[in-house]
Amino acid sequence: MSGASVANIEPTAAPSGSFVRGPALSVWTILKWAIAFCAVIVAVFPIWWMVNVVFAHPGEPVSINPRLYPTSLTAGFEKIRMILAETDYLRAYYVSLAYSLLTIAGVLLIGSMAAFEFALFEFPGKRLMFAVVMVSLMVPTAVTIVPTYLLTAKLGWLNTMQGLVVPGLASAFGLFMLIQFMRTLPREMLEAARLDGATHFQLYLHFALPLSRNALVTLAILTFMRTWGNFAWPLIVAPNPEMYTVGQVVGLFNSPYSHQTVDVVMTANLLAALPPLIFFLIFQRKIVEGIAMSGSKG
Amino acid sequence: MVLPFMALFATFFLYPIASGLYYSFFDWNATSRARFVGFDNYQHIVASRDFHDAMINLATYVSITVPLGITVAFSLALLVDSFKGVWANFFRAAYFLPVVLPAFLAATIWRWIYAPNFGLLNMILGWMGVPSISFLNNTGTMLYALIAVDVWVSAGFNMVIILAGLKNIPTHYYEAARLDGATNLQQVIYITIPMLYPVLFFVVTYGFISALQVFDIPWLLTGSSFAAYGGRQRALLFPVMDMMGRGFGGLHFGQASAYGFILTLVIVLITAGLFAFGRRRFTQ
Repeated sequence: MSGASVANIEPTAAPSGSFVRGPALSVWTILKWAIAFCAVIVAVFPIWWMVNVVFAHPGEPVSINPRLYPTSLTAGFEKIRMILAETDYLRAYYVSLAYSLLTIAGVLLIGSMAAFEFALFEFPGKRLMFAVVMVSLMVPTAVTIVPTYLLTAKLGWLNTMQGLVVPGLASAFGLFMLIQFMRTLPREMLEAARLDGATHFQLYLHFALPLSRNALVTLAILTFMRTWGNFAWPLIVAPNPEMYTVGQVVGLFNSPYSHQTVDVVMTANLLAALPPLIFFLIFQRKIVEGIAMSGSKG
Repeated sequence: MVLPFMALFATFFLYPIASGLYYSFFDWNATSRARFVGFDNYQHIVASRDFHDAMINLATYVSITVPLGITVAFSLALLVDSFKGVWANFFRAAYFLPVVLPAFLAATIWRWIYAPNFGLLNMILGWMGVPSISFLNNTGTMLYALIAVDVWVSAGFNMVIILAGLKNIPTHYYEAARLDGATNLQQVIYITIPMLYPVLFFVVTYGFISALQVFDIPWLLTGSSFAAYGGRQRALLFPVMDMMGRGFGGLHFGQASAYGFILTLVIVLITAGLFAFGRRRFTQ
């Protein structure tokens, strides 16, 4: 980048601040760009390094290949093929995907039905229920995780998909987010549809759901991130290797007694990172907005 | 149509809390008959060496990681906010990238960065002539190694929330300040921080609540299992790890339930303290 374009991008640095000396490249501007790029390196390099270890010849010592860039694409794909074919990683992938998708479906369905009632109608006990759910947002997971495990065990759901999914479906955060959104829906449309003879369920299906599409998509993405990244719950509720999630396999590969090489471990890491990274590239705006919203409304 | 949600909520949230409170007064290992022990579980935990160590680790960890993490996040937000257009988006996306990764991955990637001899960090230190340090096995460095990972993971998350708050500050405040000859630093201190107060308050409170329950990252950094956890000399033992270990390692489910309530009490007290402090500042 040239000095002129840098100065153009940053017109607000031009006021009477003590750092600035005219429109040319100031010390402050250079410093700012340098810090910004250093921070990018710190944020991104560990992830980039993982990619480099995977796409390099196996066992290549770090001294020969400082791994600033990938050196062998074929070696990388060979490692991915190997890990999928020779370990149980693929099964863990299926478990994690099923866990995430079923959780998303359940959270959206159950949450949107409840939010529809809470946001648009009056019913007995509404205030109390709403208050209890909101208070639950502040209750730390630490207090519920052991007894919830004990309940799941009593139901005979250890090492099952329902044991992973069902206890996480009543998401207070999701409900809160959907209620906030549905409160802004145009009530005249709702009244008009009702006068036209739409049933309660039709109002939900044809009015509330389509108009809440944005909030539902955001909630789905945030739920995906959270479920895919959930480590503690699968660790205790699905300790059987048949039901390992990606998080557990990655954890085991990285444990001190693991016999896997750094190549295999990093390949497992990379494959685990892939779905959320792809989601981020596609839905960056939605993810960022969703998180920012949860902050400003909380 | 609220029924499915409320039924699940009652079963998997309200009932566990009630049953947890009940279990916390029993000595129970999930197979034998439960024996009522009153407050013994609570007493036993509070008097135990592990609880003591975990709480000290937690106090040190929280008092560094929350202020440091939020300072970094706030600085990054100001930095991103000072750029325009494509560059603002680029920097925001780059700083946010670590948040996208699951926390378990952040821990496992950093485990390799910290590895002795061939790890990235020791390689860089090696170029500068520093001998290899075993960051995750040296009781002097373990906690700081954890904090670095923690800040790396959480900075982008808080940055995004703070950035949204920055966008809500009317620009004419800054224009007026500049006309009065305020420097950039003065603008941050007298306009940005007061205007961002509610957002910063949320970020701090949320940061405390999640840091007090830290689990995934130290668990994986130390390569823990229910048989052995907390790392060398338990230097990375934290309360939630201790609780999970008592439950799933020692099968003392009564104690584990009691532990949850003790921890909740600590969290509630700290949050209440923050709210009291926050309100006083706010009304001034």
